[in-house]
Amino acid sequence: MSGRARLAMVALAGVALAVVLVVAVIDLPRPDAPPPRSAKLSTSVALHERHVTNIVAGITFDLRGLDTLGEELILFAAAVGVSVLLRAQREDSTMQDAADAAEQRRAQVPASARALGAALAGPIIVFGAYIVAHGQLTPGGGFQGGVILAAALLLVYVAGQVLALPTDSPVDLVEVTEALAAAAYGLVAVGGLIFASAAMTNFVALGVTGHLLSGGTILILEVAVGIEVASALTLILAELLDQALLRST
Amino acid sequence: MVLAPLVVLVPILAATLLAAASPFAQRGAGLVAVAAALGAAVLTALVLGSSGERGVTWFSGWHPRGGAAIGIDFAPGRIGAGLALFVAVLAVVALIAASRLITVKSLAFDALVLIFVAAMLGFAYSGDLFNLFVFFELMSVTAYVLVGYEVGQRVSLEGSLTFAITNSVGSFLLLFGIGLLYGSSGALNLAQIGRALEHGPVDTAVVVAFALIASGLLVKAAVVPFHLWTADAYAVAPTPVCILLAGAFSELGLFGLFRIYWTAFHGVLGPDDDALRVVLVTAGCLTGVLGAVMCALQHHLKRMLAFATIAQVGLFLLGLALLTADGVAGAAVWVVGDGLVKAALFVIVAIVQHRYDRVTEGALHGRARGLWPLGLLFALGALTIASLPPTGSFLGRSLVEDAALKEPGYAWVPALMALVTALVAGTLLRAGARVFAGWGAPAGDDPLATDDDDETEDERGAPPRSRFILWALATVLLAAAVGWGVVPGLIEAAGRAAGEFTGTQAYAAAVLDGAHRAIAVPELKSPSATGYLYAAASVAGALAVAGAGLAGVGGRMPRGVIAARERLRGLHNGHPTDYVAWLAAGAAVLCGCLALVLQ
Repeated sequence: MSGRARLAMVALAGVALAVVLVVAVIDLPRPDAPPPRSAKLSTSVALHERHVTNIVAGITFDLRGLDTLGEELILFAAAVGVSVLLRAQREDSTMQDAADAAEQRRAQVPASARALGAALAGPIIVFGAYIVAHGQLTPGGGFQGGVILAAALLLVYVAGQVLALPTDSPVDLVEVTEALAAAAYGLVAVGGLIFASAAMTNFVALGVTGHLLSGGTILILEVAVGIEVASALTLILAELLDQALLRST
Repeated sequence: MVLAPLVVLVPILAATLLAAASPFAQRGAGLVAVAAALGAAVLTALVLGSSGERGVTWFSGWHPRGGAAIGIDFAPGRIGAGLALFVAVLAVVALIAASRLITVKSLAFDALVLIFVAAMLGFAYSGDLFNLFVFFELMSVTAYVLVGYEVGQRVSLEGSLTFAITNSVGSFLLLFGIGLLYGSSGALNLAQIGRALEHGPVDTAVVVAFALIASGLLVKAAVVPFHLWTADAYAVAPTPVCILLAGAFSELGLFGLFRIYWTAFHGVLGPDDDALRVVLVTAGCLTGVLGAVMCALQHHLKRMLAFATIAQVGLFLLGLALLTADGVAGAAVWVVGDGLVKAALFVIVAIVQHRYDRVTEGALHGRARGLWPLGLLFALGALTIASLPPTGSFLGRSLVEDAALKEPGYAWVPALMALVTALVAGTLLRAGARVFAGWGAPAGDDPLATDDDDETEDERGAPPRSRFILWALATVLLAAAVGWGVVPGLIEAAGRAAGEFTGTQAYAAAVLDGAHRAIAVPELKSPSATGYLYAAASVAGALAVAGAGLAGVGGRMPRGVIAARERLRGLHNGHPTDYVAWLAAGAAVLCGCLALVLQ
């Protein structure tokens, strides 16, 4: 297909799809219509029966906990996939080249940037951990906190530290952590089956609504997901940055 | 019902723990994956056995209150439970084949296969629209990686990338559809959506939601014009992955579409079934015919099997698109019979590919004479696709034929199915005769399968281990495909399952009220004389097509035909941007057609 024909086809199809979508959305209930019954039920169940004040966490980690397990595994599979696909293309010897390239880069980074990176990394890690641990109380949780934790790593990179890990072991450690955190979610789901009535049912004390130790398994899942997301993103970033460093040599 | 969640959780736990062990252990751990898949197979069998009273499992124990769902449910019914069992069995086959076929295999491969399988099982079980989407995404992401697993070559990466881009666009469409449907029904549980829409108007939101959901799922199912990614992905995917993709992945797309239709949309769209049937049957016809024609044009054995899969998907769609329980029963039986045959054919191709380091008809011409017993198996597989009685494919196809004959105006469907199967099976027979016997004229040129492809094939270099297991796998799979047609009581069981699958009201009552309602079970008959006649026509047609191909009849075609052929090949050019353009156009046309006929 020629470029122009393709463009015409996509444009036509896109316009047609956009028109139908707009017409369809006009048919939907107005935004100020009363919320559907399932939505109202979910809110009250999360608050009163799951003892969480962050309703989103109640829904994502309990009422729809299976979805979240699937989403966590999507990230897990993506991280494993990135390392499988990228690592297979690299020879062992080139790892050393990447490390050397990182060393050279480091020398070029201004001292101020390095100081800033070093100064911010610590607070960001604390902030990420806070967001993870308070997921059942305030907006945030495992996914958001995990991303923040992984951002600390990016800062380290900006500050010019060695990222192309010269030996395999630290990456292995991240991989193992990631896999174990993903397994932890599955184990909590099975735990519900063993210690309570159904898979994924809460089986630890719910605690007092509003306290740090409340929400039962939700807190455990938040922490597991936080670790999983942080290590998965670290893995993906590390692999992609290694690749980028190799390109630049 | 504690078993249904375990079906998904067991492979997930095995996969994550395998991945955690991957830096430390390499040897023997592959067995863990096979054991986990076997465990899942046993669990799915138990679920199928106990799903008689419409087992509904609510995660976290949140039962619906006053007809409104709070949590997520697994409500597979017999069709979903049966499909899950089939997926789990294919997973065992694929993992065993992988232990012999993949030379550089890490635990990551096993872990990814297990997650892929867990996602397919969850997709077969879930009764929640958004949860279906999550499992759909999970199987897509793992499949992208698995297709590109043998990444040493450029083509693998390209095939995987094409697959990922087109299927991601499909996912967007699906997600838009889900959003619209949630907006108009206020529910994500399929049964609850069905009830909410049931008495409402057929408004644009509902129609567009159905069209977008259908587009997304038909990308996965590889229905024309959403099929373009398929051959590129299959040609580069490792054989064990092909077994799962061809045997279950495409079929799950169809299953998802019709499960959503029968549970959520049938109530509101049911009065317009006639119009909907026309659109879906047309899509099925196009897919069957185009798949068969493209199959006949291939010389790359794996691409040939990919187009055979597309053609078969078109035929399954024909059966399901009749929108009757009879059609569902036939398609269900056919999917299993055919999936087993395709798995066997992929294994046979892999054995040949390993031995001779080639995978095109031309390059392999007569080379595999030493493997003639394998050639006989290959021929048997091809004839099974032509629905040689008494195979499972024959039984399934004759049930679909009966279903089509019951619908006024669709009496031509059996003839079309005979044509498509004859062309596909004939092509496979032609290839088999060339490869295993060296008969006939050498294959003509095929611009999309040059010898360069051979050099860069994924599974290059025979593994040092014995291929006994692969031979045994191929034999057992073919025996199962033949035996599937004569399983006692299969017709009745399929009828009951299909009645349950299409029983919208009974499903909603079981899920939302925990109540038991009677379902209408279709009356299905064993294959009649007509069925045998059509099968005979297919087999004869297949032999004729094979003979014509070997005699080189296609060599001197009129210029118009050649131009059309080149055009057709040109459409499947491996450019993801072109594919996305076709995909968008297809979605727009589908939306337009459905909006026209349903309102």
